Amino acid sequence: MNRSLPETRDYSGLAIAVNAVIAIAVTAVVVWLASGFAFNAEALFRVGPTVEAGGIGADWRAGNTIPALDFLIAFVHAADVLMGIFILVMVFVHWGAFRRLASRMRQPGEAARYESDAVADGGRAVSSRASDSGDDAPDPRGDDR
Amino acid sequence: MTNLDHGKFTGMTTTFHTLLALDVFILFFSGYGMMFNDELWWLVTLMGGNTGVTAVHRIAGLGLVALIVFWMLMMLTTSTGRSNFREILMGPDDIAAMIQDIKFVLGMADERHSNARQFAGYNSDEVPLLSYVGKGVVYIFSVELLLLTISGLLIWSKTGVMQYFATKTAAMAFVVFHGLLGVIMLMGVMFHIFEHGFHPAFYPVEVKAFIPRKLIPEEHADTDHDSTGISQLGLAPSWGWATNVMGVLTVIGIVSVLVGSIFDEGYPVPRELVVGGGPTDLLLTVGINIGILVLFIGMALQMYGNLLRVRWQKQLAEEARTTAATDGGQVNDH
Repeated sequence: MNRSLPETRDYSGLAIAVNAVIAIAVTAVVVWLASGFAFNAEALFRVGPTVEAGGIGADWRAGNTIPALDFLIAFVHAADVLMGIFILVMVFVHWGAFRRLASRMRQPGEAARYESDAVADGGRAVSSRASDSGDDAPDPRGDDR
Repeated sequence: MTNLDHGKFTGMTTTFHTLLALDVFILFFSGYGMMFNDELWWLVTLMGGNTGVTAVHRIAGLGLVALIVFWMLMMLTTSTGRSNFREILMGPDDIAAMIQDIKFVLGMADERHSNARQFAGYNSDEVPLLSYVGKGVVYIFSVELLLLTISGLLIWSKTGVMQYFATKTAAMAFVVFHGLLGVIMLMGVMFHIFEHGFHPAFYPVEVKAFIPRKLIPEEHADTDHDSTGISQLGLAPSWGWATNVMGVLTVIGIVSVLVGSIFDEGYPVPRELVVGGGPTDLLLTVGINIGILVLFIGMALQMYGNLLRVRWQKQLAEEARTTAATDGGQVNDH
């Protein structure tokens, strides 16, 4: 199966990145200019969520006569905190696992480890030049760095 | 030799995943624009202020109801749906996979449990449709979306909720409940983006949810090998810093929305201006905006995933045409 794609020319990544950043910055300044250089958060809709501040949050808490609803909200608060901690643990576990997996992969610039095993799916395509250089490394299992 | 020939979605699932993701992102942007309006005032302004943002939220909510109903029908009425449903049932292996993942990070295990693997490799038969995290995501998101939809519809119908709970203030409690409930999902989606965008073998996006099963050729080669074959893949030069940056952003985002949710539990959009209300903490404002940035990155990655599918389809079509045109002659290499 012919898997080669036509050669296409493109702009450099650096040019795209720099121009994108400049474009975003210019847009932000233009919008700021258009809004009369307003930097006035007080003019925006806000809410006073605490009971002390007398926001609308205080409204339901003071007026609420159903203890079950208070419990429900306290319960979801607890669930949020517990799940948040659990999710953070999962982020760190996966971050760490990914780092270990990455250390087993062919590092950027490193030649393919098996001449016949150029795997082009999922990761970076292994160029034929890299395969030709023929680095017949031994079993790569457990080569965590 | 395709080593990713297991654990892929059907065409319908990939489309559904995209639509659900877009809808949920819009719900997050509008809903948390309201709940964290101190910190995300620009999102509220962007969506047309007080009236606009609630309208956007309700329209996206309608979309969510439609998607949920559609999905439930698909799971119940099709044999593929029913068999996929069996795939997500949790088992003792999934608990073992979570424990082994922690051991793997600590260097106490050499490999990830097969129920944790996203990358198939040579022992591809061992890789399930969904990892233990994938199953957890389906469970948690399903329960969350159901509760959010029910509470959301109750809030929408003010007279309906007051009929059950007698007072306006009690009805307000449902708004708070609804907002707080979504926080678990908000944090979960941030992790989901990190997990599926920054696996070193798939970076910058895992295509499982974008390129449907039928478009990926299945081959079972190289059965001699005993490893996952990950050592054959080349690491992208940008993976290291990109993953560290995204990891930091994800952690800051999760912590910030969690802390913010403890403060911001009032009725989201006030009828009148309340000056200086809410925590005006600069750190919290920056943190919650970083959380929203993580969601934006997720949305960009999912669009990129769809772009990959389009490119892949074009490539397959091109190959089919080239092969047909050159049958019996030279392969037209261009």
